[in-house]
Amino acid sequence: MLGNLKGLMVTLSTFFRHPVTYQYPDEHKPIEDRYMGFPVLMWDKNVEEPYCTGCMVCVRYCPTQCMTAVMKDNPLHADGKSTRRKIVDSFEINLGRCILCAICVDVCNFDAIEMSHEHELSKYARNDNRTNLPKLLEMGKAYQQESGWKPEKEAKAEADVKPVGSSVETKEETAEAES
Amino acid sequence: MVGLNTEGQLDTVQMMVNMGPQHPSTHGVFRMVLWVDGERIVDLEPHIGYLHRGSEKLCEGELYAQIVTLFDRLDYISNLNNEMVFCRAVEKLMGLDVPERAEYIRVILCELNRVASHLLFSGTFGIDAGAMTPIMYAFRDREKIQTMFEAVTGARMMHNYIRIGGVKSDVPDDFPQRMGALLRELKQGIDETDRLLSFSEIFLARTKGIGVIDAETAIAYGMSGPSLRACGVPMDVRKDEPYSVYDRFDFGIPIGEKGDSWDRYYVRVEEMRQSIRIIEQALEQMPDGITITPSRLVLRPPQGEVYVRGENPRGELGVYLVSNGADKPYRVKVRPPSFCNLMAIKELLKGTYIADAVVILGSLDIVLGEVDR
Amino acid sequence: MNALETLMLLSKMLGVLTGLSVVVLSLTWLERKFLGRMQMRMGPTRTGPYGLLQPVADAIKLMAKEDLLSSWVDRVAYWVAPLAVFVPTFMIWVTIPIARDLVIQNMDMGLFYIIAFSVLSIVGLVMAGWASSNKYAVLGGFRAAAQLISYEIPLILAVLGVVMLAQSMNLQEVVSKQGTVIYAAIQPLGLVLFFIAGLAELGRTPFDIHPAESEVVGGPFVEYSGAHWAVFFLAEYINTFAIASLTVLLFLGGWLFPGLPGDVSALGVLVFLVKTYMVILVIFWVRGTYPRLRIDQLMSLGWKVLVPLAFVNVIITAVYMFYGWPDWSLTIMSTAILVVVGWGFSRRMRTAPTPEYTVKLYVPAPEASNAG
Repeated sequence: MLGNLKGLMVTLSTFFRHPVTYQYPDEHKPIEDRYMGFPVLMWDKNVEEPYCTGCMVCVRYCPTQCMTAVMKDNPLHADGKSTRRKIVDSFEINLGRCILCAICVDVCNFDAIEMSHEHELSKYARNDNRTNLPKLLEMGKAYQQESGWKPEKEAKAEADVKPVGSSVETKEETAEAES
Repeated sequence: MVGLNTEGQLDTVQMMVNMGPQHPSTHGVFRMVLWVDGERIVDLEPHIGYLHRGSEKLCEGELYAQIVTLFDRLDYISNLNNEMVFCRAVEKLMGLDVPERAEYIRVILCELNRVASHLLFSGTFGIDAGAMTPIMYAFRDREKIQTMFEAVTGARMMHNYIRIGGVKSDVPDDFPQRMGALLRELKQGIDETDRLLSFSEIFLARTKGIGVIDAETAIAYGMSGPSLRACGVPMDVRKDEPYSVYDRFDFGIPIGEKGDSWDRYYVRVEEMRQSIRIIEQALEQMPDGITITPSRLVLRPPQGEVYVRGENPRGELGVYLVSNGADKPYRVKVRPPSFCNLMAIKELLKGTYIADAVVILGSLDIVLGEVDR
Repeated sequence: MNALETLMLLSKMLGVLTGLSVVVLSLTWLERKFLGRMQMRMGPTRTGPYGLLQPVADAIKLMAKEDLLSSWVDRVAYWVAPLAVFVPTFMIWVTIPIARDLVIQNMDMGLFYIIAFSVLSIVGLVMAGWASSNKYAVLGGFRAAAQLISYEIPLILAVLGVVMLAQSMNLQEVVSKQGTVIYAAIQPLGLVLFFIAGLAELGRTPFDIHPAESEVVGGPFVEYSGAHWAVFFLAEYINTFAIASLTVLLFLGGWLFPGLPGDVSALGVLVFLVKTYMVILVIFWVRGTYPRLRIDQLMSLGWKVLVPLAFVNVIITAVYMFYGWPDWSLTIMSTAILVVVGWGFSRRMRTAPTPEYTVKLYVPAPEASNAG
């Protein structure tokens, strides 16, 4: 009965250990930096407009085709305040269909869409997760606040200061992959 | 006399028992129609296809970069291994080279995924036999591995990390320290589950000598992976046709003797330990460098076909890719290991008890997402 | 009996009924918390502080559930089966003393009465299985009957060993004779036999092939829902408490504790309850650790191992009593048999002296291989 007795000792030893439970919803498990939550749109604080120009590259490459977008002429460009000629007019992501693959983030040329840390999106009605532009921008601003996100050029400028050979976030490599 | 048949034995009737698609112990939606005589199974009819999602057809309508997300979801427990086989297939077709650092990262993550998959197996196998604690320990360790995946790839399960030409991004700065701590905890966790379950006399009584299959029959059914290695056949794609950087590591492959359920279980426990050995060596040997070969997003491989196989936790996954030069493949055929392992179920289950049927099905370690695609 | 004695009797029975209900509620909570802690998780935490209102929540849920009957059930058997399982478990408690003077009706043939009545609940299980008109239920019911009947014999023989030592079937006398040394120290083999046979009688892991299993889900109770199922559930927990109390009374000294006076009722009750809960925690500990045995392995364990061991137990007790040897001789004989049988099991299963590995590591010789 040696094996049996050893088994009893194992369960006795785990009895005295601290349980590994996180008491949700009071305690949340900490989220890693790179966690890919639902996609959100970024807001350009310098010019006060979204980064997104409505070019629809992400819409084309989404494997589940969960996004739609419409583009319009940018009024701020006519005023000379912005370098973006076109801007997004309406944008909808059906977050219930998104598979969180982050392909939209990889293909975007304008750093406009990012995977936030949102993951708790339960709704009462069936298609309530169809999120439109204002809500996406609001979630994006919250994400920018929380994570201190910077667009690619600024991140690259900071990264160039770091010594060679370190593991740098390779957004520039994927940007090269697209070009 | 009433009740006796022509041989003077008690006249019994065979009962049909349906272990239906919804059942606590068939791993996924799998239906088995059993004809039982008392407690012994006389005949059985397996029904699959409840999880068919048309993956192979869907692949024909997606770009190569998008197909990686589909392969994530085939065998939804060993995601990174699936992605790796597909990416190797496309790279072979296109003649792409993968940078060394990317190869090492791929190997580390794939072996870590193997440990996670085998942990899930040992937990669910304990539940099939009736022990309710090993699964809790296994999932506690699996949670640590998934946190590691989240730190590196961004997702706990459907990673979409191994890309054609390398990996999506480099590992974070504190990767070696975190991996060292994780590997120490995993070794302790595996030893603990081993001490609890593997040599418990009751567990041995439940699994030794149950579901024996000999080597020739196993090879005839096309079994592969740990289920085949438990029969004594030393076949492992990592050793027979070393791919990626597996030929630089020093590891052994566990081989069983008897081909019964206990051997199939213990081969996987030992494989976990060998995977940890590989990861330790890879962490030491990992060079610096870039992590992806720059290439276009919309790949157009040249016309041709390629078959690539890799060692998944469940067996040998094969991907047959036919390209006609377009940006979407002409045909993607997947040879799933669980499908071929499952075909031996009729041979294995005839003449056993119903209680053994559950244990044998559990020891084959099938995932219905792969069987049905 | 005059009116006063009848009143006293009724109030005692009511007291036992209430006490048992409270005990059962506490056992459900204790089991879930204890198992949770062994599995490195918390048990119930949300229903009341530390989950203490969880049994109340369970009870309300079970009472409020719809009682679904299929049209093919045998109505009479379906309704009588829970009673046939439940009533004998309560009848046992008429003669189990929890302190020296606290018992409803102490009988000279107390142990005989207890064993006779505990066998009656088997009929209820078979009725439940048959009446449900469900193949799974029938299978489960027959398995249950076979298992319970075969494990009655080692149980009875283990009790017989104690009766021989105490020279009486009166439970109060059995406990008072353990004043100097408990019977577990004299007859460890008897304790182990009683415990294992008791686990099998209860239908607890590792012998829980007939109730909640991953193959025949629910066994004979699969068609019972709501309040009906609650009765079976209650009966199982009362039985658990009964077997634990019998273990304590027969082998562990009942309400006696060295240094404490044996005739103070409140203290006796406290000691008795503490000891019984310790035994119940061991039952839960075993549940959390082991897988379950298959039905034929269970039966062969019962008939081929436990019954011969039980007979050996009776024989060595008889030898000890006949020759008038000192107590420790019986201890040595018992322990020796236990060790030999345990070692024999380990040898047979190839886990002793070292575990036998049929899985070996194979490192192929390095040779020129095709690149993948």
